Amino acid sequence: MSQPTTLQPPAASATQDAPRTGTWDGGNEPFKASYGKLMMWFFLLSDAFTFAAFLTTYGLIRHKHEVFVGKAEEFVFSTRWWPVPDRVFNAFPGLHGMDVPLGFVALMTMILILSSVTMVLAVEAGHRMDKNDVQKWLLWTILFGTTFLLSQAWEWSHFIHGSEKGMLMADGTTFFGANLAANEYGPVLFADLFFFITGFHGTHVLSGVCLLVWCFIATSNGTFHKRGHYEMIEKIGLYWHFVDLVWVFVFTFFYLV
Amino acid sequence: MAAHATDENLQQGEIAKPNTAWIWKTFFVLVGITAVEFVFVFLMEPSTLRNSIFIILTIMKAFFIVAEFMHLKHETKGLIWTILVPMSLLVWLLVALITEGSYVGEVLQNMFK
Repeated sequence: MSQPTTLQPPAASATQDAPRTGTWDGGNEPFKASYGKLMMWFFLLSDAFTFAAFLTTYGLIRHKHEVFVGKAEEFVFSTRWWPVPDRVFNAFPGLHGMDVPLGFVALMTMILILSSVTMVLAVEAGHRMDKNDVQKWLLWTILFGTTFLLSQAWEWSHFIHGSEKGMLMADGTTFFGANLAANEYGPVLFADLFFFITGFHGTHVLSGVCLLVWCFIATSNGTFHKRGHYEMIEKIGLYWHFVDLVWVFVFTFFYLV
Repeated sequence: MAAHATDENLQQGEIAKPNTAWIWKTFFVLVGITAVEFVFVFLMEPSTLRNSIFIILTIMKAFFIVAEFMHLKHETKGLIWTILVPMSLLVWLLVALITEGSYVGEVLQNMFK
């Protein structure tokens, strides 16, 4: 029997009630991945382009500016050159006035990697249909995600309020901290890019936490158990790992390089 | 999918044993690479070589996250290439625009000389 090539329903015949199994009759999974997972991958691909555009912009603008040449001890903040990241991000909550270069951002990185691990553990528990374990690991992921968001809030607050020294401006006043029009660390665009890139990433983490909270409620209600699979956890998991992945790149290009 | 807990001898309603060794292994690899990055931040003067090391280590971390945590390594070849091929465009974009940035900077800094 030849397969119908149009979308017209087949004429009434003896085979009408038999399942249609042709290539275009539905039920096929390209790449052996479900529709939802495949669409999540394509969304993440497009999101990767957005983040890559941000980071490429950062690269272009940074290379456009002068580089500080000289000894690391002699470095001072100036609008002439791009700041050295471990001199900007050297504060740690509770350790006021101490120089902890990149200490806090290292902690934030650890928290986010840990949250990724607990997310995989939730997905793994879902494969085993272990509702209690899924709940447990989702809660841990929500906890780490929220901790990361709060850490970023502290980081932003510190960046905006600035150091005690501030920067002496041309008109003789001292400017503290940063906003979109001026900052004490270096060129205006440095703070702008900081706000846009880490802000865009933070918004992703926030949406991720909201999705995880929803997942936790649905798991507790037994929605996925009744459905017979925990694929939703896998899809949200893909998104969550992507957010971690983006942070790995932000961390390198903003804080290390 | 290779990492699935597929125990076919399970009774109805019974839950399989967790299979988490590979997850923790990946975690320690990621922590290890991050630690190496910090060693380079503090023990090496900034240079193109140091930046290259950071980028290589970052790509290694990205590989472990995408391949293991996002499970891409265990998907079909078609899906792997569908994700990786568009990414190669980004490499070109990055190289092209950073070169452009250096050039713009050079022009601006030498404009009145």
